[in-house]
This record gives sequence, C-alpha cells and structure tokens, in this order.
Amino acid sequence: MSTKVTINRLATGVPGLDEVLGGGLPEFSFNLIAGPPGCGKTTLAHQMMFALATPERPALFFTVLGEPPLKMLRYQQQFDFFDSEAINQSIRYINLADDTLAGNLDEVLRRIVSEVEAHSPSLVFVDSFRSVVLASQTQDNPNNNLPQFVQQLGMLMTTWQATTFLIGEYFTETDTNPIFTVADGLIWLRQSVQRNSMVRKMEIMKMRGQPTLPGLHTFRIATSGIKVFAPAALNPVEAPLEFPIKRLKMGVPQLDEMLGGGLPRGYSLLVAGPSGSGKSILAATFLAEGARNGETGVIAVFEQRPNHSQNATLAGLIQSGQVGLVDSRAPDLSIDEIVQLLLSEISRLKATRVVIDSLSGFELALAPTFREDFRESLSRMVTALTSAGVSVLMTSELEDRYTDLRFSPYGTAFLTDAIIVQRYIEVQSRLLRIMAVVKVRASAHSDELRLYRIDDNGLQIGEMLPDQEGLLGGRPTRQRLGKDDG
Amino acid sequence: MSTLSDESRQIVASLAHRVGPNADIATVAQAIASILQDMDAALTPIIGQQGVAALYRRSLHLCASNHPRLAGTYDSVQASLDLTALKSVLVEQSEADALFFGEVLLTTLYELLTTLIGPSLTARLLRGVWEPSLSDTPSQENSP
Repeated sequence: MSTKVTINRLATGVPGLDEVLGGGLPEFSFNLIAGPPGCGKTTLAHQMMFALATPERPALFFTVLGEPPLKMLRYQQQFDFFDSEAINQSIRYINLADDTLAGNLDEVLRRIVSEVEAHSPSLVFVDSFRSVVLASQTQDNPNNNLPQFVQQLGMLMTTWQATTFLIGEYFTETDTNPIFTVADGLIWLRQSVQRNSMVRKMEIMKMRGQPTLPGLHTFRIATSGIKVFAPAALNPVEAPLEFPIKRLKMGVPQLDEMLGGGLPRGYSLLVAGPSGSGKSILAATFLAEGARNGETGVIAVFEQRPNHSQNATLAGLIQSGQVGLVDSRAPDLSIDEIVQLLLSEISRLKATRVVIDSLSGFELALAPTFREDFRESLSRMVTALTSAGVSVLMTSELEDRYTDLRFSPYGTAFLTDAIIVQRYIEVQSRLLRIMAVVKVRASAHSDELRLYRIDDNGLQIGEMLPDQEGLLGGRPTRQRLGKDDG
Repeated sequence: MSTLSDESRQIVASLAHRVGPNADIATVAQAIASILQDMDAALTPIIGQQGVAALYRRSLHLCASNHPRLAGTYDSVQASLDLTALKSVLVEQSEADALFFGEVLLTTLYELLTTLIGPSLTARLLRGVWEPSLSDTPSQENSP
C-alpha cells in the first residue's frame, strides 16, 4: 500500500478545463489566473467558484481594488452558473478596498487570514491581486515586501487547506514576478486579435504535479460561461486494420466497384473537383446510403446555406434525425472547437459516416490566426475523426488546372486514405465530367477514368472514353489508331 | 414608484414593526436608523464602505427629486452615512413625516440596488435585514 500523499483533483465545472489541466485542479493548490483586461479572468474564477463551493466547502471571494464589487455582481449575474441563493451561504464576498488603499500589505494579509479563520473556506479567491501589488508600491518603500507577502499567503492558504486563486492583470509572462515562482498553477488567458477577428486562448503555463496539455487552447465565453476546447484525446493504440477489410457502400454501385468494393471502413476519403462537379451530391448520396443501411451520419457544412440550397435527400435525412448537422455560425472558429462539435454529434448519434463539405469553406470559417496552420489542423481533425472509428468524406474545391494534376489546393492529399478526383473535359463542344479513383490505401482499386453525369437520381457513372486521350488535359483528342468514326 | 412592490411592502412592514405602536419621534428615528445600519452591515463586507455610502447618497438624491415636499429634509441630511446626523434631523419632524421619509428612503435604496444587481441577489443580500421583523426580536444586530 502506498503511503504517499494523494492529491485530490477538483472538477472545475468549466467544460474542457479539466482535460487541459491534466485531470482537474489539484486540491490546496495556490494558483494565479493572469491575463490582460477583458480576457475572462473574473468569469473563470466565478464559474469555478459556483461549481465547487458548497455549504460544507464554502468559498471566500476577496474583492480588492479594481472592478467595483457592485459591477462585478451585476455582470457576473448574467451567466447561467450564477446562483443568487449561494451568496452568503456557500459563497461569501469580502471587500478589502479600504485595507488595500492604506497600502499596508501586512494589514491586508491579516484581514485575509482572519476571514479565512472565521469561515474556514475550501476555496479562496483574491480579485484583483494586481491591485494589491500596485497599492503597496505607492508606498514610500518602493522595495515593498511583496515577495514575503506572497510567500506567506501561499503558505497560510495551503495550511488552511484552501485551494486559492489570485486573479491579476499581467501583460507579459516573462516578468520576473515572485508570484509566478510561488504559485503552483499559472493559468494564462489571452485574446488574440488578428485583423477583425478575435480568438480567446488559454494556456496552462504551470500546474505542479500535473500532466497538463501544452500549448494554447481556444475558449469561448457564452451565457453558459466559459467553454474550453481541449484537443480531442487521441487513442494511442489505433485499432489495426482488419482483414478482410470491411467496406462501406457509397450509394453509387459503379463507384463501389471502382473503389475495389466500397470505401474501407474507418477511412478518410477526399473528393476533389471543380465547382459544380457534384461533390456535394456524392457526399449526400454517401450519407443516404448509410441511412438506408441503418447507419447514422454527421455532416459539417461550411459552404452552403443549410436551409437554402441543400439537396432534398440530405434535408430529409437531417429532418428525420438520421444525419446530424454541424453548422456553426460562430465566427472565428478554431479547429478544436469544430472537432469537438463533430465528436459530440458523432457520439450523440453513434454515427459511422461523417461528411465535411467543404474544406475550402472550412478554411474560411476558421479564424485567420489558425489559417497559417491549416494543414496541421486538418491533419489533426482527420486523425481525431478516424480514430473515433468513423469514415470521413471530405470535399475539396479544386480549380481545374489542366497543366498539373493536383488533388487538393492544400497539399493535403497525403492526409487521406482515399482520393476521388473529378474533372471537366471538353468533347465535341460539350462539357463532360469524368471521375477517377486515385488512391485507396492498402486496397486494389480501379484505374479507369469514367464519364459520369448528374441527373434527378444523383450521380450516374458511365463508360470510359477509350477512343479519347489526353482527358486530364481537359481537351482530349481522338486517338489516331482507335476505331474510326469519321 | 406609485405602486408598491412586494419588497417595498416588506420594507414598510418591517419599519412599522420596528417602530411599534404609539411610538414617539425618537423611536421612529431610531427604527429608521437601525434598518439603515442593518443594511449597511449586510452590504459593507461585500461592496465596501464606499460602495454603501455612494448608494446612500444616490438614494437621498433620488428621494429629493421624486418628493419635492420632502426636499428640505433630504437636503439637511448629510450625504455621508452618518446615522446620528440623520436621527437629529428626523427628530425635528412630525412622526408621520419622519415615517414617510423613512419609508421612501429605504424603498429607494432597495430599488436602487435592485436596478444594479437584480431583484434576486438584492433580496438574498438583504434577507437578514427584514427577517427579524417576522420574529419578535426587533433590533437584532447582524453579526459579521
């Protein structure tokens, strides 16, 4: 039996935050929530406080200088988590403005300690801690006793078994600040602004004893409070490919043949083609075929107005609940947010087929700050989805360029397990469409370039054009040695 | 403020309870001051002394502009939350006037707080002030 101390981890009540923290908040830890004005520090503190405080484990919220408590109460009430009934029961606000104005840190510490002794809180918040520091600096002694104050506060709170949060405005994380050293946890909030878009990001710069998720994590603030978009947890052991490969029907029998019997389950498929070539129709057929076999699907639409121009089959499937629609109109999406939306819809419907229509629209929906990493993001999304066990069909707008053979404008073709490419060709003054299966990983597939047309029944695959050559150049010529026709 | 809200009625009732029957002017003044003191005790820990003082000042101003008849009385009350000063002004009035003054001031203060932090939180924070009026301990101090 282990005699080592067990550190309890508290569930913060902030969606996604426990994951980012590496399993919750260590009990009795001494933390700093830092960031510039307006980044959500006070809201984060309140959300955790209302989630964690109980009459048995009450919270003390010390307001210092800065935001007047009346206003804080006024605005925090707008959030769903705010419960007036908890005030003066499990949550107690204490104003220390007068003590702080005097600038005597010892007095502030004494007040905090006496309130803590009086109420034995499990949670202590000090907002804003920065103002305590500034007030002490206006004193005659610029060399104030701040390090000592922080050190004592940290020690006292821990021995009183209180999980503590100092909330402070800090602008640069490279400052050498005694608080940064003493704190067990450093939660840094930021607003990243690029052009006209703003994205909120959170970073756990430090959390002692915890395997936190590194890097910046996006979050949103809505009336429900803060929601952090933690990256999807990846299954470290991916299920090995099963043989014989189980395959999904595409809803177009000839296409299944071309794919070598259908799309292998759990594969990602890229359908690349020019505008109007029928990518969305193929995607809808793919979902309809699933529904016909009792499978459910999810479609993420970034391009078309969902109620406006969708084809009737798809609209019907969405209506009947066989297909879930992810249609986030939220501006400035992050990849993690989209993945989370998709995954929650997938698990809600136990979906097996997922469509993303289209990657081009998806890129536009992302906040500009994420577009630079688009390929990387896409790779993460594909991995997250396929490791959830679903089969993914993605469409990609492809400008017809007859001088080079490309399958996606992003150099992302390698990310997917299978690729279907569609093109226009000109034959006898008509614009015809051809389709080919370019790649199906670990599977035999057709190498044919097949004509196809789109009619009321969807996509109809026709014959090859064996007497024409140079199809991929867009302007095929009749083969000299072929059958004569005139 | 033509129609009395539930809260206003509660305030009026609480004041009447603290004043008691056949009270003299000193008792009326003491009752008003004690309610203000209880409100102060309930609010100061949360919004600070200065916050309460500012609310009080604003309430006096609103009372004076809504009830010109009482403007003279309001003007002579110092804007700082000085209950001794308030009482000394009140004892100069008739019992009815002082009581009316108290009702208006207390309801105004309550409603002002409601516009700022909402009815439920206001009720929550000040619950302790009115609760004694339901029991038989009229001047219960709020222990900090």
